[in-house]
Amino acid sequence: MDVITSVNLKKYYGQARGLEDATLAVRAGEIYGFVGPNGSGKTTFIRILAGLIQSTSGSVSVLGKTPGPDSAAINKDIGYMPGESFYYPELKVRTVLSFFARERGCDDIRMRELAAILDLDLDKRIDALSFGNRKKVGIVASMLHRPQLLVLDEPTTGLDPLVQRIFLDLLREEQKRGTTVFLSSHNLTEVEKVCDRVALVKDGKILLVTTIADLVKQKHKRLVVASAADLVLPGLQKNGGNDRESYFEYRGETAPLLNLLAGANLTDVVIRDATLEEIFIGHYKRGNER
Amino acid sequence: MKLFDGTLLAMELRRSYKGVLIWTLAISASLVMVIAIYPLVIDMYAAIPPEFYDLMAAFGGIPDTIVEYYATEGAMMLQLFGSLFAALQGFGAINRDEREKTAESLYSLPLSRMTFYCTKLLRVTLEVVFLCGVTALFSYIGFLIIDEPIDYPPFILFSVLNTLVFLVFAWLCFAMAALLKPNQKPMAAIAIPFVLYVIYTIAMMTQNEVLDLLKYITPFTFADPVEILKTDFQLEWISMTVFLGLTVFGTVAGWKAFARREFTI
Repeated sequence: MDVITSVNLKKYYGQARGLEDATLAVRAGEIYGFVGPNGSGKTTFIRILAGLIQSTSGSVSVLGKTPGPDSAAINKDIGYMPGESFYYPELKVRTVLSFFARERGCDDIRMRELAAILDLDLDKRIDALSFGNRKKVGIVASMLHRPQLLVLDEPTTGLDPLVQRIFLDLLREEQKRGTTVFLSSHNLTEVEKVCDRVALVKDGKILLVTTIADLVKQKHKRLVVASAADLVLPGLQKNGGNDRESYFEYRGETAPLLNLLAGANLTDVVIRDATLEEIFIGHYKRGNER
Repeated sequence: MKLFDGTLLAMELRRSYKGVLIWTLAISASLVMVIAIYPLVIDMYAAIPPEFYDLMAAFGGIPDTIVEYYATEGAMMLQLFGSLFAALQGFGAINRDEREKTAESLYSLPLSRMTFYCTKLLRVTLEVVFLCGVTALFSYIGFLIIDEPIDYPPFILFSVLNTLVFLVFAWLCFAMAALLKPNQKPMAAIAIPFVLYVIYTIAMMTQNEVLDLLKYITPFTFADPVEILKTDFQLEWISMTVFLGLTVFGTVAGWKAFARREFTI
């Protein structure tokens, strides 16, 4: 069963593009990454899911219902974390989170549990919190009621690496309980670690929807060769260089490559795996060329 | 669909109580001071030369009783500051969440837009009624302090009509916040009662027939304490009907806009 479906979803703010064409489906129980550069439409898509804004055209469904201004029935089962976590600045964290808990019909036990896991001081005022700690408030607020669906807009931005790891563990735990997670991110390492599938979005359009496993399969070798020479081998493609070194991408078996390099009389060579980021950038470049 | 949410109402009141208390106490203290100096003012009035009586008449004339004095000095001050307070509270009920960027978290709660709208409107109404109740109580304390016999019916009528005027401003500015784009400065709300008060003052001070008609474009007219005394409790029904109608219309229009409002901050 799909928890989120969107078909040709478009959103314009007057003349300004928010989202051009988003078609995707998020299955129940998966962690779905929504990856793209700034201004690509990630937050717009997420706000439509949360019922905060309405699409210009296309259709969208969340938990079988259409989100909109009267999304109360859907919001009951969603945990939403905005990209920028702003809460009542003059109040204590405990007061704000208790308010969210009561509105969602749950007690404070889960709040205390999550605050302890994330090392969040409940007795501090919101306006005394750092950016990262305000993010923690957002995480707790979204998970208080153990929702069916978590919609998280760049949840780890501003969190230190240790808390990021704890947060990703929390997401996996929620997934084990059956929660579906839809998260937008810039952090490709986090996407690779936690997501089952990922959508790449650019200029309001979804370029690619794939599983992380398939993306990893597209991993290839990157070569930096201390020579301006051209090397020829099936699967080897030169993609830049200068007088002193050349850059290559290689897709294929390792042995033929090593044989080629051994006979090429090179002074230095570096071979490494392409990162997920480089794979994404390759997709973005191809998207631009199209 | 529920119209009001107790948890949201409690949070809304909690967030605004300091401002409400400061305004209420400041206006109340001013009223007590105005009333407390009445015995001194009587002597001042007695010393005014008769040739100034006509000029004084434009401002309600020389008061003969404590209630007339309260109507010309206290109630009019209360009307100005109370309406500014009401406008700010009404406008801020929607605008503050957008200005402080808390709207995204708030409106993703499982409450309908109708619940948000009605609960926030109820909060504003309660705050206005609170201010009116406390200021009336302090005025009464002021009368007790100077130990003057007071005619209660006009005093109660002023208080009720003041409350009505403040509610008109609060509800209209609440609707205005829903109709305007986000991130408007609260000064936009203050401008309305301020300008209408100036218009009301001009209409009251002049004897010109055309300028006199200005009184119908300000809600202060139907709660003018001096006019109520002068006309022996005759209400300005036209002004009252027009502004109550406008308030209902504005509130409905505000709701229509709020129901579709997009929260992008």
